[in-house]
Amino acid sequence: MSLVACGNSDSSPDTASSGDTGTETGGEASGDQITLRMAWWGSQARHDGTVAVIELYESQNPNVDIQYEFFDFDGYFTKLNTLVASDSVWDVFQLGGNYPAYINNIHMLNEFIEDGTIDTSNTTQQFLDTTNADGDQVGISLGVNSYGIAYDPQMFADAGVEEPADNWTWGDFEAAAKQINAELGIFGSSIMDDFLAGASIGVGPDYNFFDADDQTKLGFDDPSLLVDYIRMRKELVDLGAFPDPGAAAEVTDIEGDFIVSGEAAMTWIATNQFPTLVDAAGRELKLASVPRRDHDDPFGLTLNSSQMFSIPTNSEHKEEAAKFINFFLNDEEANEILKGERGVPIMSTAREAIEASATDAMVEVLNYIDYVGSNANPELNNIENPNTAEITSQYELLLDQVIYDEITPEEAAQQIYEFAKNIIE
Amino acid sequence: MQFIENEEQEKKGFRWKMQQFLDKESVAGYVFSAPFIIGFLGFTLIPMAFSMYYSLTDYDMINAPTFVGMDNYTRLFTDARFLKSIRVTLVYVGISVPVKLIFALFIAYLLTRKVKGDTLYRSLFYVPSLIGGSIAVALVWKELFARLGLINALLNTIGLESINWFGAQDKAMIPLILSSAWQFGSAMIIFAAGLKEIPNTYYEAALIDGANKAQMFFKITLPLLSPIILFNLIMQTISAFMAFTQAFVITGGGPNDATNFYALYVYNHAFNFYNMGYASAMSWIMLLIIAFITFMILKFSKYWIFEEK
Repeated sequence: MSLVACGNSDSSPDTASSGDTGTETGGEASGDQITLRMAWWGSQARHDGTVAVIELYESQNPNVDIQYEFFDFDGYFTKLNTLVASDSVWDVFQLGGNYPAYINNIHMLNEFIEDGTIDTSNTTQQFLDTTNADGDQVGISLGVNSYGIAYDPQMFADAGVEEPADNWTWGDFEAAAKQINAELGIFGSSIMDDFLAGASIGVGPDYNFFDADDQTKLGFDDPSLLVDYIRMRKELVDLGAFPDPGAAAEVTDIEGDFIVSGEAAMTWIATNQFPTLVDAAGRELKLASVPRRDHDDPFGLTLNSSQMFSIPTNSEHKEEAAKFINFFLNDEEANEILKGERGVPIMSTAREAIEASATDAMVEVLNYIDYVGSNANPELNNIENPNTAEITSQYELLLDQVIYDEITPEEAAQQIYEFAKNIIE
Repeated sequence: MQFIENEEQEKKGFRWKMQQFLDKESVAGYVFSAPFIIGFLGFTLIPMAFSMYYSLTDYDMINAPTFVGMDNYTRLFTDARFLKSIRVTLVYVGISVPVKLIFALFIAYLLTRKVKGDTLYRSLFYVPSLIGGSIAVALVWKELFARLGLINALLNTIGLESINWFGAQDKAMIPLILSSAWQFGSAMIIFAAGLKEIPNTYYEAALIDGANKAQMFFKITLPLLSPIILFNLIMQTISAFMAFTQAFVITGGGPNDATNFYALYVYNHAFNFYNMGYASAMSWIMLLIIAFITFMILKFSKYWIFEEK
């Protein structure tokens, strides 16, 4: 706790209240024993870091006992859904862009921000807004990220391909993938998050896939915007420049990506995964932005909260949960342990704690996030629709059907447009 | 003193009453069947009643369900993915069950011969059934049939081309079928028990009449074993309809839904797409399909079941 106090003492008037909270917590130490339940999903590195921070918090707050569970992504949401159904969600739980599905079970954090339990003096409104829905603070972002293409500069050089420019296009991407495949005999690109690349971000930057204001509407009305990506994906698979559905099924996590094994020169990535990817690959990789439709299109990315901690309505210890979230976000020692694995921290003090010991890969991520942040397109809707999972699954199915020559890219685009439109109505 | 006596009397009274209570035959019966009754109510009957109710609602696990009548059921018949999942599940059941039963019968037949350590072999052959349904073993199968996996390496050494098992719609199911056939243990144990029941005198008589091994198998073993085959056929058919783990771990239902088994599709709608109501409706249709097929198997069994007169 002392670190928080120190960190804050020379920053803002809020310091006083934050310091007070610390003393209060200390005062309570002799009082009631409290058990907080929490859970998250993620990789082994995240589990290790988060558990270490929990133990640090428990050692400083002996009255709090934190019972934690961690899962992989699918397991987490299966468990969460059953807990939601039985109204017994963990006191502190992790959520990503799919929070709208759970909005009725989330206790909004506005009161804790107003009374200083959660100290937001070291961040900006822009960052807080990444997890704000209609004025309600759904959670506090544990880190911001964006999407990009990770690539191997050495492979680009070997194949005689120029490294991606800031405003490169899908045409450039396709040409690079083909040339790398022809020259080196490997996949030009490993798997992509096809729905994000081809549809969600793909229909931009002038349109959103889902309407930003109305959850029951699509944000575009021209299915042909979806055609180019689908056509390109099929062509690359046909050439062997992109993993076919069988090869794609072999990649189950970022450490198993084809760029790690040297079988691909590019891959789609959420930026918070980049350090893990570089670690696994053991060689230099770089980050390029997501390709655009046209060289002179406006920037088509925005900063997302990679995930946040939220408090459920059913929690009996909402204030204690908020105190823990405050510690997790603001404590410098905690953030040194976490190393920004959940994304770049939104608290400037926490970010500085990470910068001090940042690896090359982390520096690349920090620079990229700054670049996206300063160019971010505020018109973009980065809130998921409750039906995203089903629409994504249908999109991937139709993409398979195009690859197996059962339908044309135009038909696939038309079908996914109608499917999405019908289902969200 | 008075107080103590009272207490003792009370104790005696309680013990006596308890004794009386336990001595009733029905009580012992209920006590011993309680674990099953509780399990049946808690894990079968009540969940089934709930799923019946949910199947008539738009329940998404998060918001309170609203009644939608038969909408979920009518939607099923227009859902192309659902119809395809029925198709691939029927193909899977139709191939994997006979393959598994033939394999189980073959091994059981081999093990009826008096060889040293036959119980050891029987236990060893049973191991895949114990562990085969696990995630870990499914992952091993996934690796075995990967593009650069062991199976393709073996094919290459005998001069054959690698096969992209999970990238071809017509081949992706083969590893799943093999994995299922490999878990032949429980069917094998039941066959082995059945084979032991067949009196040796029949074979001796056949031998004297000059029958060869194949004739003995088809004229004696198969007919006498047919009730056991029927039992195994029904049990394995039901469990094949519920196949989930292999498809979930190995193929994820792909490519192009070629291995999107019924249970996997139900799971996806229930837990990934937030359509618990729709998934419940699907489960009820599955119950009807399984009941119908089991009924047909039983109905037509009279044409091939041998009964000793």
